[in-house]
Amino acid sequence: MPHRLRWAVPYLFLLPGGLWLLAFFAVPMLVMGSVSLMEGSLSTGYRLTGNVGIYPEALGRWAPQFLRTIGYALAVTALTLAIGYPMAYTIAFRGGRHKSLLLLLVILPFFTSFLIRTLSWKLILADNGFVLGSLKDWGLLEEGFRLIATPVAVIGGLTYNFLPFMVLPVYVALEKVDVRLVEAATDLYASRTQAFLRVTLPLSMPGVFAGSLLTFIPAVGDFINAEILGSRDTTMIGNVIQRLFLQNNDYPQAAALGFVLMAAVLVMVAVYARAAGGERLTQG
Amino acid sequence: MTAPAIPVGRELAAPVPERRRPIGRRAAALLLPGYTALAVAYLFLPIVVMIAFSFNDPGGRQNITWQGFTLENYVDVWRRPDITGPMLNSVVVALVSTLLATALGTLIAMALVRYEFRARGTLNLLIFLPMATPEIILGASLLSMWVSLGVQRDITTIAIAHVMFNISYVVVTVRARLSGFDRRLEEAAMDLGASEWVTFRKVTLPLIFPGILAAALLAFALSIDDYVITSFVAGRTVTFPLWVFGVSRIGVPPEVNVLGTLIFLLAFVFIAVQIWIGRRELRARPADA
Amino acid sequence: MADHTPRRPIDVAIARAFDPRRRLSRRSFLRDAGRGTVVVGTALSLPSILAACGIGPGASATPASATPVALPSEPAGTLNWANWPAYIDIDEETGEYPTILKFTDETGIEVNYTEAINDNEEFFGTIQPDLSAGNPTQWDVVVLTDWMIERMIRLGFLEALDHSRLPSFAANVQDLYRDPWFDPGNRYSVTWQSGITGIGYNPTLTGREITRFDDLLDPAFAGRVGMFSEMRDTMSLALLSLGIEPANATVEDARRARDKLLEPARSGQFRNFYGNEYYDELANGNLALTIAWSGDVSQMKLYDNADVEFVVPEDGGVLWSDNMAIPRRAEHPLDAHLLMNFWYELDNAVALTEYIGYFSPVQGVAERVREDAATAQEEGDAEWAGQLEVIAETAFPTNETLENVHTYRRLSEDEEREWNELFNEVVQG
Repeated sequence: MPHRLRWAVPYLFLLPGGLWLLAFFAVPMLVMGSVSLMEGSLSTGYRLTGNVGIYPEALGRWAPQFLRTIGYALAVTALTLAIGYPMAYTIAFRGGRHKSLLLLLVILPFFTSFLIRTLSWKLILADNGFVLGSLKDWGLLEEGFRLIATPVAVIGGLTYNFLPFMVLPVYVALEKVDVRLVEAATDLYASRTQAFLRVTLPLSMPGVFAGSLLTFIPAVGDFINAEILGSRDTTMIGNVIQRLFLQNNDYPQAAALGFVLMAAVLVMVAVYARAAGGERLTQG
Repeated sequence: MTAPAIPVGRELAAPVPERRRPIGRRAAALLLPGYTALAVAYLFLPIVVMIAFSFNDPGGRQNITWQGFTLENYVDVWRRPDITGPMLNSVVVALVSTLLATALGTLIAMALVRYEFRARGTLNLLIFLPMATPEIILGASLLSMWVSLGVQRDITTIAIAHVMFNISYVVVTVRARLSGFDRRLEEAAMDLGASEWVTFRKVTLPLIFPGILAAALLAFALSIDDYVITSFVAGRTVTFPLWVFGVSRIGVPPEVNVLGTLIFLLAFVFIAVQIWIGRRELRARPADA
Repeated sequence: MADHTPRRPIDVAIARAFDPRRRLSRRSFLRDAGRGTVVVGTALSLPSILAACGIGPGASATPASATPVALPSEPAGTLNWANWPAYIDIDEETGEYPTILKFTDETGIEVNYTEAINDNEEFFGTIQPDLSAGNPTQWDVVVLTDWMIERMIRLGFLEALDHSRLPSFAANVQDLYRDPWFDPGNRYSVTWQSGITGIGYNPTLTGREITRFDDLLDPAFAGRVGMFSEMRDTMSLALLSLGIEPANATVEDARRARDKLLEPARSGQFRNFYGNEYYDELANGNLALTIAWSGDVSQMKLYDNADVEFVVPEDGGVLWSDNMAIPRRAEHPLDAHLLMNFWYELDNAVALTEYIGYFSPVQGVAERVREDAATAQEEGDAEWAGQLEVIAETAFPTNETLENVHTYRRLSEDEEREWNELFNEVVQG
């Protein structure tokens, strides 16, 4: 490539994808932004009135659902980390020749539609299904016990569905860790736990960071799990937005809530980025 | 008489031989693999249930209690255009969007990791925002745009939407891999006379390929799964998740499980082949990273 | 709009387009805008874009024209039909729709049948942008519940029917479904099937007979009661239990209904607020009693769980109908008419009802189903005969039942929003 054109290389690389995102993400978002500032109804038409008051109004009314959603998402992220990190670690460090196979095993279940997986959980956790039903028959559970339509089921479903989003990035980061660094640490009289805590864990943080984001963010916006496995009391903000959009046709409020959700997520992510030792998103 | 073997000096410092590791250590060594085995079992539980109930022969609309074994569902599913149609749509969209998104996303990741340029901040924002946005907003905003442009919604608009949300995930995944990449390997290759393109093809690409593959797999899974965004931009096209959601409201028929099982098997074969090819290459090239 | 940028051709076009005196049409839009207009440039004039979105003022305010849609002389030979799932007879073996095939045989018209409708509002959301912008929606025939038809008529989203093409309808429709409250004179729609919203329950699980709406609020059943997430059904039943006629209910009445439901909802009386999924829950025993649709319970008794009963609450149930209609600017209106007429022929109506078990709007169906049951009995097919007997009961409501059913209130735009907000509080904790 001629030297004078070298400066163009990065732009060439990012142009196709960048344009795609501009055209099919940024532009529609601008459209939606305007919608949130509109007032009106279906028959009288919506008018762009710059009704910024919709934001505090929507936020005030739906604050409990917001908080609940963030709470669930945090629980889900913590759970996926707790469950997924050891898995990723085992595959990366103990996998040996079978690394790919193990990774395959982890990802494979998630090649089925998540709807089907969630519906299967509904079946598994059914009040009188083969799990709970048997436990009840054996007297280990009381009759009225149920998991479906409780927060436990919703969080459980979310955790299950987002587990690979944690395992994969953590694995990718762990796999890059040079084993010789760990060996060096143990050579220097660190115990295995210490070696892990002071060498492996910090080196895997980019993966943990990526995994946490990839888990937290979709969890916050999800409504399928709450709809299939939950009840009225587990309503998440995604359910609210969907209902406002598709059933109440209240586009301005729905759009406003969507943007508030986005903003909340961005704020939390920024805080997390600072807290994780100045780990900026731009760094791998 | 031989003196009792009292360990002294160097012998004390020698590591304990593997065979005589105390029970505690042995158990601890099994802990991680044991845990992983359990975790894998947990991951597969709904899949097993799904597969099991694909052989169920329910009397009515419900498929939640075992009522009898049948292979009928597997035959039946191919004869029903209302099922095979959506399934085909989903697979086509997933393949196309995976290819495109992986290509576009990898390029962006490379640009981000290896070059300095001015639009970096904006680009990062542009990549990150789609992931932070609730799918419902992504979907509704796209629909508004299509309608305002008078564009008919069909499989093309679905594919476009899928590429859009997949790019971000590909970038994040590949970038995590790329940033640990040792540039000196490339420099070494070029020092040895390889052109940039050859270096890329023979050094860079194979080394980052696992990262790209992981990203592609993720993109494929996300695409074939997608319900929310697709429901907004699908128009008259029905994809598999759309069909499942619609039909699940009145009772999940065993055909749903059959298709889930088949997609699962397809993915299994696909990945197994990938691994097999990877293994063959590894054997052909003995010394490798 | 205060717009200080120079008026580009695209802006002129869009501004002219949402002039209320002139409906936006895609052809005029493109012609005025000229070719080669850059998409990005369009996006920058946001208020204009939103008007073109159909969310702008004016474009959708055209009232329904009562002039029947202009029909071509020949059918196009193809037709796109959206319906609810499990709402048509199907051959389980082949996955084909026998009666639709019969239609194709008789008329030569290919039918693209899609079970695209899972919820009235949801489906409306997918077609509203096109309809507001005056574009064709990809559908020629849609099947929507009466209150949604009423809204679409009000918004001008439906084509008026040409009844000269619907002779079977005129000849065979039951009086109950002729000239309904939501579509006087059947100017825009003809009924597909109808049913009653009442209470479905499992006598073994409840331990007693269920007769009134208030039974759903009985603390003895806490956690095993189902409610609908469908606002109109639930609110109407609640209003009836307060002695209020839904058709005459005011917003104040709606508030009282909300109050009645809110406390039990908060205390966990209801397992959940369901759409179609209540069927599974009732059939597998997770629910002891729930708001339910008549036809579903009939089907459940036949196929999934015989130990269920349907009852119209003493204080009153709700009679609703799902209706075929033609969206504005549909591309194959004549084919649509032929389809609608086809389903009002007795044979076809019987085939439909025998499979799905809801109320048929066609005269003579109940009698025919009974005849078929008798024939089946004679031929020794006791099972099919038994099923037909059950269906015969539900093929058309008895006079006694009809005395105790009511219809939805015709909600104005504002009322609808109020009711939705009130109901939201109950449904989303």
